[in-house]
Amino acid sequence: MGYDMELTALILLPFFGGIAALFAGRWGRDAERWVAIAALGLALLILISSFFSDGDGRWIAIERYDWAPSLGLQVILAMDGLSGALLVVSLALGIVSVIVSWKITEYSGLLNAALLWTVAASNGVFLSFDLLVFAFFWELMLVPSFLLISVWGHGDREAAALKFLVFNAVAGLGLLAAVFYLGATGETVTFDAFEVAERQIPHGVQVLLLLGFAAAFLVKLPVPPLHAWLPDAHTQAPTAGSILLAGLLLKTGAYGLFRFPPMLFPEGFATLAPFGLALGAFGSIYGALLACGQTDAKRLVAYTSVAHMSIVLMGICGGVYFSLMGAGVEMVAHAFSASALFLLIGALYDRTGTRDLRELGGLQQNAPRFAAAFAVFFSAALAMPGTANFLGEALVITGMFQVNWIFASITLISLVISVVYATRLFKRVVFGKSRRTEALEDLTLREMGPIVLLAVATLLFGMLPQLLMGALEGAVEAALVPVTVP
Amino acid sequence: MLSPYLLLLLVPAPPLAVFLILGLDPFFLRRKAVQALALLGGIAPFFAMLPLLGLCLGTECYGVMPIFTLVFGQSEVALALLLDPMSTLVGLTVAAVGALVITYAIDYMSDARIADLRRFFALMNLFLAAMLTMVLAGDTITFFFGWELMGLCSFFLIAYNTSLPQAVAAGRKAFIITRFADAFLLAGLLLLFLEANSVRLDVLIPAGTMMTEERHVVIALLLLAGALGKSAQVPFHTWLPSAMAGPTPVSALLHSATMVAAGAFMLARFSPIVMSEPAVQTIAAIFGAGTAAFGALSAIFQTDVKRLLAYSSISQIGFMVLAIGLGAPEVAIAHFVVHAMFKSLLFLAAGDITHGSDLGTSLQAMRGALRRRPISFLAYVAGAASLAGLPIVTAGWWSKEAILATAWEGGAFGIAIWVLALLTATCTAIYAFRPVFEALQPEPAHISHARRGHPVALDLHYRPRWGSGFITLPLVLLAAGSLLGGIIVGPIIRFLGAEAPHPAHLPELVAAVAPFVGMAGAAAITFVPALAAAVAGARDMRRPTRLDRKFQRWVIEPYVRLVRFLAGNRIGARAEAELELRHVQIVRWLSRGARMDGIYQALFVRPFVNIVRWLNGHRGGTVDPVGTFPVSLALQGTQALVERLAHDRFDRFWMRLANRLVRLWVLVCAIQTGRSRDYALGAALGTAALLVIAWGTTWN
Repeated sequence: MGYDMELTALILLPFFGGIAALFAGRWGRDAERWVAIAALGLALLILISSFFSDGDGRWIAIERYDWAPSLGLQVILAMDGLSGALLVVSLALGIVSVIVSWKITEYSGLLNAALLWTVAASNGVFLSFDLLVFAFFWELMLVPSFLLISVWGHGDREAAALKFLVFNAVAGLGLLAAVFYLGATGETVTFDAFEVAERQIPHGVQVLLLLGFAAAFLVKLPVPPLHAWLPDAHTQAPTAGSILLAGLLLKTGAYGLFRFPPMLFPEGFATLAPFGLALGAFGSIYGALLACGQTDAKRLVAYTSVAHMSIVLMGICGGVYFSLMGAGVEMVAHAFSASALFLLIGALYDRTGTRDLRELGGLQQNAPRFAAAFAVFFSAALAMPGTANFLGEALVITGMFQVNWIFASITLISLVISVVYATRLFKRVVFGKSRRTEALEDLTLREMGPIVLLAVATLLFGMLPQLLMGALEGAVEAALVPVTVP
Repeated sequence: MLSPYLLLLLVPAPPLAVFLILGLDPFFLRRKAVQALALLGGIAPFFAMLPLLGLCLGTECYGVMPIFTLVFGQSEVALALLLDPMSTLVGLTVAAVGALVITYAIDYMSDARIADLRRFFALMNLFLAAMLTMVLAGDTITFFFGWELMGLCSFFLIAYNTSLPQAVAAGRKAFIITRFADAFLLAGLLLLFLEANSVRLDVLIPAGTMMTEERHVVIALLLLAGALGKSAQVPFHTWLPSAMAGPTPVSALLHSATMVAAGAFMLARFSPIVMSEPAVQTIAAIFGAGTAAFGALSAIFQTDVKRLLAYSSISQIGFMVLAIGLGAPEVAIAHFVVHAMFKSLLFLAAGDITHGSDLGTSLQAMRGALRRRPISFLAYVAGAASLAGLPIVTAGWWSKEAILATAWEGGAFGIAIWVLALLTATCTAIYAFRPVFEALQPEPAHISHARRGHPVALDLHYRPRWGSGFITLPLVLLAAGSLLGGIIVGPIIRFLGAEAPHPAHLPELVAAVAPFVGMAGAAAITFVPALAAAVAGARDMRRPTRLDRKFQRWVIEPYVRLVRFLAGNRIGARAEAELELRHVQIVRWLSRGARMDGIYQALFVRPFVNIVRWLNGHRGGTVDPVGTFPVSLALQGTQALVERLAHDRFDRFWMRLANRLVRLWVLVCAIQTGRSRDYALGAALGTAALLVIAWGTTWN
């Protein structure tokens, strides 16, 4: 509390770290990478130390700065357990993505800068409670990730990057319009979310504004039919880009949906939530079915992300304690498990030059460490009890039983289909035989580091869920909305 | 003071630790070290269970070992291990069988590569730890954790031979089908949690019996569906015969004490909920009895000894489900214990006899067993006797008799079930002894040559007659248990808090005769070639032997005469041929597990594949109709708009103006003639006009 600047530091450290990384190449070999790791590591330390300070009820820390008072502009940064958990994810995955792209030498200063800026912007999204600043960071995220895909991507990268940009920028306009409306229509001009939340907004207006917010969030989430950018972006992005996309960008969508609609438009949200549930139910089956048919390993994982984030959407729209808690846990769990799968597939691609499931195989015989790592995250992908993913999905299903048993059954079906695609991936990559993996180098120490970190996180939050659930408690209580499903 | 229940944690901990050590392999262990560790992890739970049994027999048999407590808003979730008679008994059985199977596997798997060996024993230990966790669980979360972990381990273990496509396919099949059933169980457990607001079994089960009627039926049915899937009961049974692609120790563990038996254990655990709903109980009894009969009939027609044993497991677990359906979970648990002993014994013995045979695990590979592997053969006979339920001297008789007696006491419905169960018991004796009699047949020539060191066949797998202690000790111990275990059936039922059923003399006598009838049947279908061929599902093409003729005269002809008599002598020769054809069809149908695979293929797999194909396009590209819909919509919309705007209306206005101006210019150009008189005329007319205007302005 008070005038500590820890939250500001969480945004500025990666940002200036990125600027330093741009030029650090001149100071020595790999200096830009070490700068990036140092900036993120320092931010992580600050973040963790802030968890031990006494907060103000639900809030661990709040910071306010005036910017242009006459225009009602201020910077409000606030962190509760949900933001805190996602910030840990963001900084940890930032470090992972720097380590993963260690061998990329092409414009490596800019690469590390782009990684750090993505982390900085998403940290801003997770912390901002001034709607205009939130919208600013929301749009800012797109720029470095666009760079990541279009400069260091594979295959048809320009088209994929453009698709990503167009989808998200267009949807972002809805958010921006709604934010401007909210700012301009109060008694005084303000974008302070806490003040806006106090206002009585007519029901119809709430629904319209919520649609504007939801457009941005649902595209970023993404939920079918708005997901078309994701498989392309994931497939063509470099490994680090895929990790940040799956681990951070998708989570900003879920975070926004978790945080703002129930806070700003509770009645409007209660009206629209059943549609969200239906959309999520459809997406959880649709994404899983498409994942079953993919031949590109990365695309397969991308579609599983669609399915899992649809389950998160259902959890948020369920509006009951269990489903919201489940959505929160699943967000964190999916960030770890999906990034780990992207990391493994990326490492395999670097070695064999293919991601085609029909050409891979034989890791069990040729690279046992690879196989073991795959087995761990394969279990996470199909929500094996003991992984955080299971905890999240089981909680969502419990909540769905309280809302409507049909949605619960659909989630269970999605869970069954997850076995089909996960075993398919495993069968094609780990089992069997392949010429391409005969002389495969097993995972190196540098690759093992991030994998062990992610595996430990997945299992730790699965086995000791109190760590995560205790943190999410406050945010969940705040997001409870009575949703009635006809 | 330390609670004695801390020992509960020590039961699943050693195999789990061994899994971690072997899985992570921090010390780069050598072969001997891997084997020693595996053995340690496999045996330790048994020795941790023993003092618990002492505790249970001595003082009060109830104790909870909390692990940790979660707080969910208003509800508390307390994870714990539970000691009560059921968990003690089943835990001890699982630990004992697990220890013996892992001991056996040390020798059985000794040919494997070191990496494979590590993987195999790591997973076996995890498998054992998962089952023990599930058995000792005191809450639904720990229970489900063990339950699912077993499914995962079974996937990896069945697909152990990863380069064999059918093994991998069998692993996937097992995992997907059991996971499908697990979804029912998960739904049931979550609903119970919402109902009772607790996950503790001792809170939740009593609360579960006091729900509203509608909820109660739904939850009980969901639990039943989960159990049927895990226990490979009809209609979920297809995964189990395919799962034989895994190594023999895996099958032994999977069938006897873990995985498949877990479903029956779960039903016994939640039996108060299932039993307080008569309709569900009847459904369970019908599914159990039906599966028992179906499994036994199918087992008779198998040509592979492991598949035969797989159908036998399906059938025997059907008996356990039947007992629970009849309201006697204690009897089901007694049968669980006995079955665990004789089924693991049968698998281990058959695996040892057929190990390395070039005939795989087909029945022919059993031939000559008495000479090649006498101990294994005798052990197999002991197991078969127990499976068939030979009266008094085998454990199987005592536990099966208890089930039959329970049925006999259950009124008219019970007696109908009793008749079905009796017929099943007869069939059981047929298939149990079929491999035994098959083994008494002379062995195929090339194998006996190999044994005599015949030069042609020297490269065939040759093994000494007497196996190592790792093989012999488990077989001897399990054989002793399968035969003498009958003594403990009554005490087990009393230990679990029920009275052993006392059968009436007449049905008991009938039931005692049934196994011998079955044995005679087994001998007939092995030694009478005509019948053997019929059982194999093919027509007899060989010349009839003397035995055949006798059989024809004394059995077939009277039977045909009887049928003719009953049908009023209306069956002609053609109808008889049709009858025979139908018989072949039925045999094939049964030997392929009622062709349920084909039904699943048509009902689930093909539609699923078609949907996925339709969504993805046939050639691996992505069609993703829903995802591309907004894109194409946006593109088409933009295109339509752009086309309209391409004819810019403002542009057209300016252009039209310009055109008019041009036309005006053309008109004006006509004045420019180039002749000076025209210009002079113009100037004169102009001056005149100006003069007229000037004159006009002076008027006023």
